[in-house]
Amino acid sequence: MSRVPRGALWSSFARSFLIQGSWNYRTMQGSGFAFALLPALRSIFRGRPGELDASVARHAEHFNAHPYLSNLALGAVVRLEADGEDGDDVRRFKTAVRGPLGGLGDSLVWASWLPAVSLAALALYWLGAPGWLAVATFVVVYNVGHVGLRAWGFRTGLAEGRWVGRSLGRAALGKWTERVRSAAALLLGVLAGTVLAGTGGLADAGPTWGVLGVAAFVVGDLAGHRLWRPTAVVVVVVVAVLATWGWAS
Amino acid sequence: MELLLVAAIGGALALDATSAGQFMVSRPLVAGALTGWVLGDPAQGLLIGAVLELYLLVSFPSGGSRFPEGPTATVVAVATAGAMAGPGSVPTGVAMGLVLGHVGGMSISLLRRLNGRFVPDAPGASPRRLVASHLLALGLDFARGAAITLAGVLVGRLAAPHAVAAWPLGEGDSAGLLLVGGAVSAGIMLRSLGGFRRRRLLFTAGLALGLIGIRLLS
Amino acid sequence: MPLVLLRVDERLIHGQVVLGWGSALRPDRYIVVDDQLAESGWEQDLYRLGAGDGDTFFVGVAEARERFPEWRAGAERSILLTRDVGTMLALARGGLLAGESVNLGGLHHRPDRKQVLTYLNLSDEEMHQLASLDAEGVAVSARDLPDAARVTLRSLLGS
Repeated sequence: MSRVPRGALWSSFARSFLIQGSWNYRTMQGSGFAFALLPALRSIFRGRPGELDASVARHAEHFNAHPYLSNLALGAVVRLEADGEDGDDVRRFKTAVRGPLGGLGDSLVWASWLPAVSLAALALYWLGAPGWLAVATFVVVYNVGHVGLRAWGFRTGLAEGRWVGRSLGRAALGKWTERVRSAAALLLGVLAGTVLAGTGGLADAGPTWGVLGVAAFVVGDLAGHRLWRPTAVVVVVVVAVLATWGWAS
Repeated sequence: MELLLVAAIGGALALDATSAGQFMVSRPLVAGALTGWVLGDPAQGLLIGAVLELYLLVSFPSGGSRFPEGPTATVVAVATAGAMAGPGSVPTGVAMGLVLGHVGGMSISLLRRLNGRFVPDAPGASPRRLVASHLLALGLDFARGAAITLAGVLVGRLAAPHAVAAWPLGEGDSAGLLLVGGAVSAGIMLRSLGGFRRRRLLFTAGLALGLIGIRLLS
Repeated sequence: MPLVLLRVDERLIHGQVVLGWGSALRPDRYIVVDDQLAESGWEQDLYRLGAGDGDTFFVGVAEARERFPEWRAGAERSILLTRDVGTMLALARGGLLAGESVNLGGLHHRPDRKQVLTYLNLSDEEMHQLASLDAEGVAVSARDLPDAARVTLRSLLGS
């Protein structure tokens, strides 16, 4: 397939974990993308420093996608550069791929997988499981998905080059997103039950708190995201007032 | 010594949130347990982490948008609460954490603007300059997280003893107050999952399971 | 109203279009007009991913001009996209789009463009092309999302 040695590929894959290390509003992930690509480019352009510099400069241009799914673009670009593709073609590929990788990744990982695993761990915690178990469940389960997605992306990119769209279509990430969200809804229910009735939960705090908690949940459900910041502000203010009022009396 | 250790944890976990790794050990649940363990009260650290995780369920490091920073907030919350005993310690810590989350979020935006000034753009991006600026940005993010954590813990430990000593509520009411706030977040989560009828059915099934589970376990 | 939106957007099919305009207009299909994309299978695969379950097809300008009357008369609701102003103008030549509205979505920063709105950057050439579109009887305005304010061509060119 590609003539890039394994060592350089591993090195680029390892660096992909730092792809957002110099995230900025101008080139976004651009510099991180070039940083991760560098070991592979060094081996592709060995003995041709002028071409290496030109290629690095091109890849430092603006790029942005979900950080885990960026690996699909990364793998594909390694393949395209190793095959000696024209620089403008590689740029066209990156332009076309960033949109779907960003959109699919945000909804699959940030809006579905992360909250689902987080809800599972929180439900375990309020069910009274040992704390280390809740934490270990979160870290292990989350990262099986995370590292798996990065590795799949990099390998698929390497194998398919500019045709990654086919594999992405077959992988049906949208369907997986829906499944994970359904699981998250179920887990959110379990969590709500345990926070309501568990030890140290709302019912323990008293019936008034229980009623208030249910009301708060319904209001959050009706209002959506715009209520997040006001809620945080209210909690901070109430705690501050209580602390000061108690102090004065 | 302990302060430096806490600041270093804050810096390292801040890196995980966006810049390096993204293993999500920077999420409040993990950060809280870790900080509590280092400071000698893992149970309280975990409780604060769990409460903040509930608040930050619907917040994630997506793209260019501004988001509250979880890891530094959690480290500060646990270190603040750990400085004092009593029912007021957890709410005071959580409130500090929510404020710090906002401050941390602003500092991330500032750093991203600063990065934009020295990160090389297309023509000037030699490999050497690229690597140097990338490593510099990583170092700056660590320093940013550590500095925010240090400042937060210093302020928190200054204010907390007064607040905690004067706290008028008992253990139960304190937990109730925090969990009602968390319930809003859980409601927002249900809405953001979409697919209204089907997801609400699943939610209700989960709720029943949760209530039965608690009954069986107690 | 079978052609529910005609839009110029560099990113073509992406979140703003699918979630923002798509959920407001409920299209049956997306039509992308672009000579280069019509020949490029791998690029089509990538852009198609953004459309989810929506039916998407890619045609060159000549074919689009031929089929335009059929799309306008058909029962299916379509969103038509181009990634530059020039392609939209080529489509509009000879009054083919007379009476239609064209929406300007995102055009990004480029050295030869100057910023007109947060999401819209235009070069001198593109300004002229927009004026020509107007002369072909097309109502041009800018709006990134359906609930955002609409900016008329006059105020775009005046700034």
